[in-house]
Amino acid sequence: MIRTTKKTLLSIAAMIFLVSTVLMACAKQEASPSASNGTADNAAVAAEKAITLSWPRDIGTMNPHTYNPSQLFAQSMIYEPLVSYKAGGKLEPMLAESWTISEDGKEYTFKLRQNVKFSDGTSFNAAIVKKNFDSVMKNSNLHSWLGVINVLDKTEAIDEYTFKMTLKQAYYPAIQDLAVVRPVRFLGEAGFPDDGDTSKGIKKPVGTGPWLLAEYKKDEYAVFTRNPNYWGESPKIDKITVKIIPDPETRVLAFEKGELDLIYGEGVISMDAFQQLRESGKYTTQLSEPVATRSLLLNTTNDKLSDLRVRLALQSGFNKQAMVEGITLGLEEKADTILSKNFPYTDIDVQPVAYNTDQAAAYLDEAGWKLPAGKAVREKDGQALELELIFDKTDPIQKAMAETMQAEWSAIGVKLNITGLELTTQIERRKAGNYDLDFWSNYGAPYDPHSFINVVAEKGWGVAEANAGLPMKQELDQQIHEVLSSTDETKRQQLYSSILLTLQEQSAIVPISYIKKTVVFQNKVTDFAFPANRDENPFEGINISQ
Amino acid sequence: MISYIGKRLLAIVPIILFAILITFVLIHVSPVDPAEAYLTAAHIHPTEELLAEKRHEFGLDQPLLVQYWHTVVKMAQLDFGLSFMTNEPVWEDVVSKMPATVQLAVSSILFGMLVSIPLGFLSAIYKNSVIDYFSRGLSYFGASIPQFWLGYLLMFFFAVKLDLLPVEGKGSWDNLVLPTLTLSLALIAIYTRLLRASVLEQLQESYVIYAKTRGIKQRIIMLKHVLKIAISPVITGLGMNFGKLLTGTIIVEQVFSWPGFGRYFVDAIFNRDIPVIQCYVFLAACLFIICNLIVDLIQLYMDPRISLKGRTDQ
Repeated sequence: MIRTTKKTLLSIAAMIFLVSTVLMACAKQEASPSASNGTADNAAVAAEKAITLSWPRDIGTMNPHTYNPSQLFAQSMIYEPLVSYKAGGKLEPMLAESWTISEDGKEYTFKLRQNVKFSDGTSFNAAIVKKNFDSVMKNSNLHSWLGVINVLDKTEAIDEYTFKMTLKQAYYPAIQDLAVVRPVRFLGEAGFPDDGDTSKGIKKPVGTGPWLLAEYKKDEYAVFTRNPNYWGESPKIDKITVKIIPDPETRVLAFEKGELDLIYGEGVISMDAFQQLRESGKYTTQLSEPVATRSLLLNTTNDKLSDLRVRLALQSGFNKQAMVEGITLGLEEKADTILSKNFPYTDIDVQPVAYNTDQAAAYLDEAGWKLPAGKAVREKDGQALELELIFDKTDPIQKAMAETMQAEWSAIGVKLNITGLELTTQIERRKAGNYDLDFWSNYGAPYDPHSFINVVAEKGWGVAEANAGLPMKQELDQQIHEVLSSTDETKRQQLYSSILLTLQEQSAIVPISYIKKTVVFQNKVTDFAFPANRDENPFEGINISQ
Repeated sequence: MISYIGKRLLAIVPIILFAILITFVLIHVSPVDPAEAYLTAAHIHPTEELLAEKRHEFGLDQPLLVQYWHTVVKMAQLDFGLSFMTNEPVWEDVVSKMPATVQLAVSSILFGMLVSIPLGFLSAIYKNSVIDYFSRGLSYFGASIPQFWLGYLLMFFFAVKLDLLPVEGKGSWDNLVLPTLTLSLALIAIYTRLLRASVLEQLQESYVIYAKTRGIKQRIIMLKHVLKIAISPVITGLGMNFGKLLTGTIIVEQVFSWPGFGRYFVDAIFNRDIPVIQCYVFLAACLFIICNLIVDLIQLYMDPRISLKGRTDQ
């Protein structure tokens, strides 16, 4: 046996004590909210209908009037809008039972639902609606992206359940804008800070929605339970636990182990993993309707791309179908139109540009870009047909698509240089018009189609800048301003058709594929339906078979 | 001794100032405007007005020297500003996340030591035996396998297939097992080989031969004399690795959804959360210096032949 001195023993004891203290201090033991870890405490718990899902990021501060880090799906569980966006762009009453719009399209009067209570039991009324709007308008510059905020002149609480909104000018998508998740949903009185300015934080998340935040540990989990004061039909499940799992592969393994019941969202797991789970036959998988279009922006202010024939050549010069199938494994759908037809005003007849490399070559020949003998790249007036496509280097789909287009276009004599950038730099270059081609996608419901046409007309987002070289740009802008302020439904449809047809024919925004949301769930989950609003949660009506 | 520690602590100042300078320069030569990064991270459309407002708020409209001085003064007060992502004070975020990282680092080091000390020692004594081959194999495996991959493998076998442990999270002690194994395997690989080589070297020393001739038992020579000296390079490595673990458990934290500092930093990089990046560099510099100092002090305590000025020929 080792003969240890007193000193050594003391040192060892001190070391062990130190290490144990550190470990004990660090390891605050908390019961995991996981379904698998929570071995049924009693019969009541066992009968509880609960689901566990994962989300890549912490749900955030649940402030209804600010953006990051609050997660949209979670905000939509707690807070409700005046108007709800449903499939096909239908706007339905939510906290407002009905509304009237003045003939000049400037005054919106809402009759509020009377039996609504916040989760703390306080009443929902016109005064709290106005208080929320006042807080938002105090920082209106933060919300300038939302059209209704830019045109909002004043708000009034006419009586306890009547709220009036007056606009500076007619703006038809005002109602649609009120369906978005933030910043126009309603916080209860108890959540407001003392100075009433929610931009700096809220006291607690108090909403009128079907869920309330019952338990929360930052970066670990959030537990939502039913709001006992909910005015509408109560959710069928009692509890939703959201585990924060940043890594997509870990999410899949946790799901396979049964620690998760549901993986939902856009790009939350890799397409390979989704396919693998789908093909295993052990789980249920679903794809949503298109939520947005993945497109290419062609910078028409560039001399080469200002020629419609060159743009058409590029669009017909790559096999969209094969590319989408190969890269997204069919989880995205080939897109022929800039906006998918499940948005309002977008169901119009357009002639898709077909994949035809002979036609592409003919367009380029016609535009004067000839292929000199022995060379691989077309030239005109001694200049080579060389273009740069910028992409987000952290996005594997953009990268793979860029490489495919590089190969495809080299076959028609176009040299494509591809440049991977950080997202912030990509956006900066897009806004500055400092690129030839770039990836872009529209905003989805409930923002489109009005947000889409707005950025085609308004500078500052990069799309109007890219389209600036179109010969009919002024006329297009005029039509866009007209449609946004029009109070006539028929005229709006005509204008939208004309705008979308022009954009489609001009090939400056080339649709590639329709992005879809994915969901994979354990077979015990039933009645799952994707929300019509891209940012909302899918828990309305969801149930589990015990 | 106290003046030695005082001098070493004072030496931290220029190193930290240099680290701050490097971060400061890198941020200023980067093509990304911090004001724009803030607004992008906050999902706010960066209009020219807002950009100007934020640049003013961050002091980016001031001369570079003034900006650097302000950065240094604020950092000295542990004021790193608000995180672009969470909108919370960075230092508060870090303090709340550090315990999870420390827990993982300490458990990995402890487990690493627990395995590698006996294994390294035995593989030196029983050179070319089964245990030596095993330790070589383990070291080879531990040093070559990427940690994130090892994490997935462990998760797949122990959590999904065998259903023994949870996949992710930080709910109970069970959750600590797989990330600890993942992190400690690389440490085991290094320390086992280090200790084996060191013990073999000591066995050639004359004091061992002399002790044998004095009739001292082999076991006593090994445990009381050889191990005490041979462990010295392992302790040096340990100090470096502790700093590395505290600042670099990034991938493992990400894989196991461990809510520590590493994961916070990964998010910061992706979102250009500059205040967090600055805080990370500052902390990393401090941690490495302090770990080095502690290692030096332990060495000093364990081996009296090392003087405060360096090794002497006593």
